[in-house]
Amino acid sequence: MPSRRLLRACLAAGAWAAAVAPLRAQPAGDDAHAYRAVVDRYCVACHNAQTLTAGLALDTLDLAAVGGEAEVWEKVVRKLRGGLMPPAGRPRPAPATYDRFASWLEAALDRAGAAAPNPGRPAPHRLNRAQYGNAVRDLLGIDAEHAAALVPPNASTHGFDNAAAVLGVDPTLIERYLAAARRISALAIGDPRARPAPVTYRAPVDLTQDGHLDGMPFGTRGGLRVRHHFPVDGEYYLRAKLGRNVHELIRGLNDHHEVEFSLDGERLASFPIGGLGPGTGERADYDSLRHGGYRTSDFEVRAAVRAGLREVIVTFPRTGAAQIEDRPPTLVGVPLQGPALRQPLLKAYVHYFEDGLPYITRIDVEGPYGVAGPGETESRRRIFVCYPAAAAGERACAEQIAATLARRAWRRPVDGDDVAELLRFYEAERGRGGDFEAGVGMVVRALLASREFLFRVERAPADAAPGAPYRLGAPDLASRLALLLWSSIPDDELLARAEDGALLEPAELERQVRRMLADPRSQALVEHFAGQWLHLRNLRFARPHPLSFPNFDDNLRQAMRRETELLFESIVREDRSVVELLTADYTFLNGRLARHYGIPNVNGSHFRRVRLTDPARRGLIAHGSVLTVTSHPTRTAPVLRGKWILENVLGTPPPAPPPDIPDLQEKNAEGRVLSMRERMAQHRANPVCASCHAQMDPLGLALEPFNAVGEARTRSESNGPIDASGVMPDGTAFEGPAGLRSLLARDSERFVHTLIEKLLTYALGRGLEYHDAPAVRAILRDAARDGYAFSSIVLGVVRSVPFRMRMTPPAPAADGAAAVRR
Amino acid sequence: MFITRKSLPRRTVLRGMGATLALPLLDAMAPALTAASKTAARPVRRAGFVYIPNGAVIDEAAHGVDAWSPRGAGSDFELSPILKPLAPVRDRLVVLSGLDHPMARSMGDGAGDHARGTATWLTGVHPKKTEGIDVRAGTTVDQFIAAEFGRQTRLPSLEISLESPERVGNCEVGYSCQYLYTISWRTPTTPLPMENNPRVVFERLFGEGGTAAERRAESRRDRSILDWVRGDVADLRRELGAADRLRVTEYLDGVREVERRIQMSERDGDTPALPLPPRPMGIPDGFEDHIKLMYDLLALAWQADITRVGAFQISYETSSRTYPQIGVANSHHSLSHHAQNEENIAQLIRINTYHVEMLADFLEKLRATPDGDGTLLDHALVLYGGSMSDGNDHSHYPLPCLLAGGAAGRLEGGRHLRYADRPAMTRALLNVLDLMGVPADDFSDATGENARLADL
Repeated sequence: MPSRRLLRACLAAGAWAAAVAPLRAQPAGDDAHAYRAVVDRYCVACHNAQTLTAGLALDTLDLAAVGGEAEVWEKVVRKLRGGLMPPAGRPRPAPATYDRFASWLEAALDRAGAAAPNPGRPAPHRLNRAQYGNAVRDLLGIDAEHAAALVPPNASTHGFDNAAAVLGVDPTLIERYLAAARRISALAIGDPRARPAPVTYRAPVDLTQDGHLDGMPFGTRGGLRVRHHFPVDGEYYLRAKLGRNVHELIRGLNDHHEVEFSLDGERLASFPIGGLGPGTGERADYDSLRHGGYRTSDFEVRAAVRAGLREVIVTFPRTGAAQIEDRPPTLVGVPLQGPALRQPLLKAYVHYFEDGLPYITRIDVEGPYGVAGPGETESRRRIFVCYPAAAAGERACAEQIAATLARRAWRRPVDGDDVAELLRFYEAERGRGGDFEAGVGMVVRALLASREFLFRVERAPADAAPGAPYRLGAPDLASRLALLLWSSIPDDELLARAEDGALLEPAELERQVRRMLADPRSQALVEHFAGQWLHLRNLRFARPHPLSFPNFDDNLRQAMRRETELLFESIVREDRSVVELLTADYTFLNGRLARHYGIPNVNGSHFRRVRLTDPARRGLIAHGSVLTVTSHPTRTAPVLRGKWILENVLGTPPPAPPPDIPDLQEKNAEGRVLSMRERMAQHRANPVCASCHAQMDPLGLALEPFNAVGEARTRSESNGPIDASGVMPDGTAFEGPAGLRSLLARDSERFVHTLIEKLLTYALGRGLEYHDAPAVRAILRDAARDGYAFSSIVLGVVRSVPFRMRMTPPAPAADGAAAVRR
Repeated sequence: MFITRKSLPRRTVLRGMGATLALPLLDAMAPALTAASKTAARPVRRAGFVYIPNGAVIDEAAHGVDAWSPRGAGSDFELSPILKPLAPVRDRLVVLSGLDHPMARSMGDGAGDHARGTATWLTGVHPKKTEGIDVRAGTTVDQFIAAEFGRQTRLPSLEISLESPERVGNCEVGYSCQYLYTISWRTPTTPLPMENNPRVVFERLFGEGGTAAERRAESRRDRSILDWVRGDVADLRRELGAADRLRVTEYLDGVREVERRIQMSERDGDTPALPLPPRPMGIPDGFEDHIKLMYDLLALAWQADITRVGAFQISYETSSRTYPQIGVANSHHSLSHHAQNEENIAQLIRINTYHVEMLADFLEKLRATPDGDGTLLDHALVLYGGSMSDGNDHSHYPLPCLLAGGAAGRLEGGRHLRYADRPAMTRALLNVLDLMGVPADDFSDATGENARLADL
């Protein structure tokens, strides 16, 4: 009977938090005896050893010793805090008793947890892709994205891709790490034998280049900007490709344009294209401008470039005379109006025509030719902490380099034996005829492929008993800190505080956390923590249907992501209350996104803080990013939006739907197409579905005034009116995005609790267990005193039992048998 | 390898890299590449496994129409609308109808048929429900074959996909994403990642260039590093308790395997340099360019005898990919919950057919590629299908499944085999092991006297 089981699961796991009065976690004279009576009266009718509803028997458990059954009682606490039990229609204790019982249970569980802490045990695991990239950046001064691109991405579990569970090792991965080590060491040292190689950077297909793009020089339109690592001082070709139509004609040659190349802000070359002359605006003779007239080499620069990470830009300076960009684009000479003109929608059509504005599709960098030397790069500064003046000093210097790099790469003090092992690679390379630098390059290569760099093992003190908690040593704690706050390895200061043991002092730990949060590297929290928690990463995969949403392009996609990132970042940088993520009356917009939202007077490509006057737009739940990743390509998906809120705001994800879902009818008996709300109503008519959907659907339906790409709307996809009113199972009525936001904000403690659970999961690299619940509550209590300032939550996580401690492995157990006999 | 500008025709570049590895190139290099298989005493067999997600329009009871199964049986059958693109290779085709995957069903584990189906497809093992480090399914059939064939080639197998595993919030409650994002398990606890970047696949197959002497020097350096890493990991393994040892053992096995691969490539290092197609630039924008490029790379890997086994997960279950190029604007997964809506089902048929068109291209390419005394298609065996039947109710019966290729004379094509007794797909996998010359007594839930499928 799967459906019956599901009904139970939903009733048990469901989600809506009724407005629970703030609690005082004080048992205050109440005792187990009194609460036994409460449980007997309100719970055990279903949850007893005979009926075992939801597999739960509360009649046989001892309330005087909840610690013995903490896993069960934590479930009870979650239901109570969510206001989910007893189910609707069954008698409940008076609200005061209800809350007191929950608080009493929590206090008892917290005491039990404190008496026998179980910090859990993340398994040994490797750096994930982002951590690898950042570690290489911090170790060698190589661009993190460049390094990360050399190793494979990995899946996620428990919502994050840094979980130990998904970070195993397989042969293919080892091959990739070896190859990456070879390339990175050559790049970092500046291998003078570097052979010319082409690297291609492509523009996203749906990037619109009609206006100024964020980060491009002022007074330019469209174009591409790439960060390229030039391996050595030498000559390089820079090439650009312009967009063409299906007839291989460069588009947009009616008028005169310039294609300008620049390197680190310095103009390299400029190529005039199109038109009969600047400013004439006359139609060009296409035949003379066919591709034969423009060769690839027409948009090519050969330049002497100094080694290192540099920015290459190819773009179109706005021509002062013509102001072509301000005229509406044309299709076969006819001016076109309105948003339907953007490239993605018209792609199929404009590809046949030559109208529009020229745009860049690719930049190629090829080189080096004529190597002049390794150059002065950040990488070389970090590697060559010494440089031998004579052959006699070479070995000593190599030792010093190896010791310096190994300490950072391995996140621990190194000794003579460590250095001697690495020097074997130096010696071998010298033996093969390599010079001093080649020898050092081999040390770097070995370090990057070494087990200790890639693979993290936290080790218990030798005398620790099996299955017992122990305090992490300072080096392991430093690694955890750096991975949490920077997605990277510790820097020299953090290593020094680990080595002298100061990091284990609470004051120093706090000082380090605040220092690291203030460091730009904490941007990793925005990109990786917020990016995954809020599903911003999925924007990359969003493909709104071009006919339904002609306005959607890569510019908008990037702007949406940026908005949410900037809001999160403002909370981090300004140490604001995390509740503002839900309630902020400000956001960050550029002209493109402001137009999308219908907010006037925000122009230009750069982002700025904007006060929101429309209450419907406030907070995360009204961000274009969130609304888009929770929609289908052609329409909104209230269920996905509701589920997103349950999971990421309220922390009570619904259970998976049953295997035998009845289909929602799209039409009624008379054949009339049903509205979204009418269709959703079928969920609640069916008791199996209702138990979960009664919580999920109203949340999602409240956001119906926003379409599938987050634009405000007054009519639905089927052109019906929109009804955004809702009633939660507990009878609370609300209306629209603003009403929903107030409802969520009223119980902001639940939101902060959810954020803490997510951040702790991310910090530990494992899913949370029942024995982590006391730690989450402690972080919540402590952060409440600081008004939920972001730093108070991070400090709470860092000071928590599961972050500071670890279990030693249990006594050995046997492995299972293989599935196949041969 | 250094690619000169002039070898890249502008038109192909503009349209994405899909076309640059097309068949004419394969033909051009065939003489050099087939040397190995010509000298072999018997033809070299290859095995490919291609996975399609979200089921197929195959269950008349559920879809109102079965657009997958051929009409008629035995050698007298008519290709269905979905399989029609395979008409040119019909003589090398065996369609298997009526297969089931009972181990993919819930069995008390609740929802999660997408993850379970994927993990069961080539294992027949009911995967352990976990989001933790303790994932466990079974060794997949491609890896059994790879363990045997792989001793003769530089890479035991190639695992490819068109998707990135970076999407979040996509996996079913209770199941690690690892179950969803791969169809290949090296051991019951080691899922293999699927690579979706053609450039990475290309470099794994053909290296990153340089002269033979330079490549040898580089692999010596790699070996010296691996030698050191192996010692370190082995020490660590001794030091750790049993609970943490599993992962470190995986690491150690991995290092040993890579050492073996390097030795193999050093042994092959003296063969004359092969003329190679241009190195792909990255992931093409369009689905069609991407899938063709991946199929081409698999064909190349077989042709050059770099590996003899390939697993290709076209997309993962629950994939929300849209196919605007064939008029499918909605996501594949939401369409698969078709609610008996005719338009949804018509669109699903379009997706199924489109995928089969790509397969047909690949098979024709194999047929056009000489290999020893025949063609690659004569010597290969490609299993194509999925682990879901009707995506709407997540059923695992009847499964879409077909075999293509001659398996070096062991498989007679041009047949449609219908099985009325709902045999487990693992029974077909036992036959596949036989056809590949890697026989086993039983495989997961295919056991006993009649473990194999009759007539196959």
